[in-house]
Amino acid sequence: MLLSNKNIAWLLPLSAIAVAGGHFIFLYYLYNISFTLSLTDSIISVLYMSLALWGVVQSIKIYPTRVGVTLYSLFVAVFLGLSTVFLSTVTIKWWIDVNDAYYLQFLDSSGPVRYIIYWLLFSWIATFFALNKSITSQEQKFKKQADFTALHKEAELFKLRQQLQPHFLYNSLNSINALTMIEPAKAQEMVGMLSDFLRNSVQREAKEKIPVQDELDYLGNYLAIESIRFGDRLNVMFNKEENIAGTIPPFLLQPLLENAIKFGLYGNTGKVTISINIQAQSGMLLFKISNPFDSEANRSPRGTGFGLAGVQRRLFLIYARTDLLETNKEGNTFTTILKIPQDEA
Amino acid sequence: MKHKVVLIDDEPLARQLIRNLLKSNEHFEVVHECADGFEGFKAIQEHQPHLLFLDVQMPRLNGFEMLELLDTTPSVIFCTAFDEYAMKAFETHAIDYLLKPVTKERFEKALEKYLSQAGSDTKLDAEALASENVYEGYQNRIVVKDNGVIRIIAASEILYIEANDDYIKIFTKDGQFLKKSTLTRIEKSFDGGAFIRVHRSYIIPVAQLVRIEPYEKGSHIALLHSGAKVPVSKSGMDKLKSTLGW
Repeated sequence: MLLSNKNIAWLLPLSAIAVAGGHFIFLYYLYNISFTLSLTDSIISVLYMSLALWGVVQSIKIYPTRVGVTLYSLFVAVFLGLSTVFLSTVTIKWWIDVNDAYYLQFLDSSGPVRYIIYWLLFSWIATFFALNKSITSQEQKFKKQADFTALHKEAELFKLRQQLQPHFLYNSLNSINALTMIEPAKAQEMVGMLSDFLRNSVQREAKEKIPVQDELDYLGNYLAIESIRFGDRLNVMFNKEENIAGTIPPFLLQPLLENAIKFGLYGNTGKVTISINIQAQSGMLLFKISNPFDSEANRSPRGTGFGLAGVQRRLFLIYARTDLLETNKEGNTFTTILKIPQDEA
Repeated sequence: MKHKVVLIDDEPLARQLIRNLLKSNEHFEVVHECADGFEGFKAIQEHQPHLLFLDVQMPRLNGFEMLELLDTTPSVIFCTAFDEYAMKAFETHAIDYLLKPVTKERFEKALEKYLSQAGSDTKLDAEALASENVYEGYQNRIVVKDNGVIRIIAASEILYIEANDDYIKIFTKDGQFLKKSTLTRIEKSFDGGAFIRVHRSYIIPVAQLVRIEPYEKGSHIALLHSGAKVPVSKSGMDKLKSTLGW
């Protein structure tokens, strides 16, 4: 805010002194009021005026809505203007035992003029701050909007990438390439699985939520392809209740699984077991994916680059919640827990 | 004489493919195949092959990291699904860069290229291998050889790093390690917010810093958690100030 700016903070007391000086000169030279009275009047008036100005700024700051803020600031100026004139007059009279009839008369008759000056000053400051405030909040609103659009775009992009998965595709084709020479029957089988997988990816793209069983079939297909690629190094254990019902947004589980496979396979040599647990629990579907990882290598393998952060963002976009995805490391096991709220209907 | 070949790829079928493609060519003999950089490193020292088929993304130690550790490198044909590494691969004077899925025609071409260059100096360019802009993001680890054993030092283990002629000396709780590299390169593979080059010959992790004491003529000394004292140059002090927001 303007007033909190350090560079101009020293201006405030300085301008207060200047105003008091002007006030004094005005009374002392123009109206021939005594030195003491002029000084007292100017100092007390400026003190009250500063206090009122502070009040103006504070009352604009705490005003909750932007609607009608200009009217509100005019009202604040009227109220504080009247208070300032009243209080400073009373204080001056109480402060010094005045028996200067000329000054007393001057003090009372100058009330309206003082009020008008204060009112002008206060309403100018008030409207200035009110406008400033509404501009700031407008800018914040725009920024929020822009952030949201960016997030949305990213999610779209993520979906696309998930769909294309170029490296997965290239590596699978390379495996098929090898199989055609050594095991043509298995090559055919893998071509079939790969086409099923791709067909499914395209169909799922349009849907917001799909039955969880469909998602699991799709993942089963994906895992079967990965198992062929990595041979006996990759072992996947599925644990789920029979006939699990419910829905899940597509493209959430797969990146988690992909992550688990990458961490598991690239962080370790030898055989790797990845386990997937699925449970229905108080209106939620709970997915628990664990994989071994190498705590020493201390580096995440590269790939599509989205991984957990992408899933977290998508969950936020869909459910507006940040507590649906958790991860924890225990010894050499990395566990990801995904919760999907189920509609009551 | 047959050219000895070692295959390094974590996917068995990918190795099988290369093996099959090589079968029909009488000039080559696959002497060993392995699934990660650690094994690869050992196999290369044991078999002294002429040619490597090397994947980049592999468990524990990736292809480039493995090459860095070798004193003498054989000719290399990279073989990966990631095209992002091609630039770096050619900078290191690799013979060729095969993209998966590998086709027979492309493979034959790579072999021809190798044979035409065989005998001439096909050594990898160690300088380029150690060059920057290698991987996306920060590595946050250093791979060193310690009495013939490969050791991965995580960023969090590092107390500080000192330049020593052509080598860098990495100080950790478990002792110090030497690696043929430069501080400039190390500087680029770590997050600049966490590691700061405080001196021409020193890099320190910000987390290790206890305090900074004035020394002489504008220079300072940094006291680290390990008790070590590291000189801080004038420009190093500026970097510290701007990173830590003093």
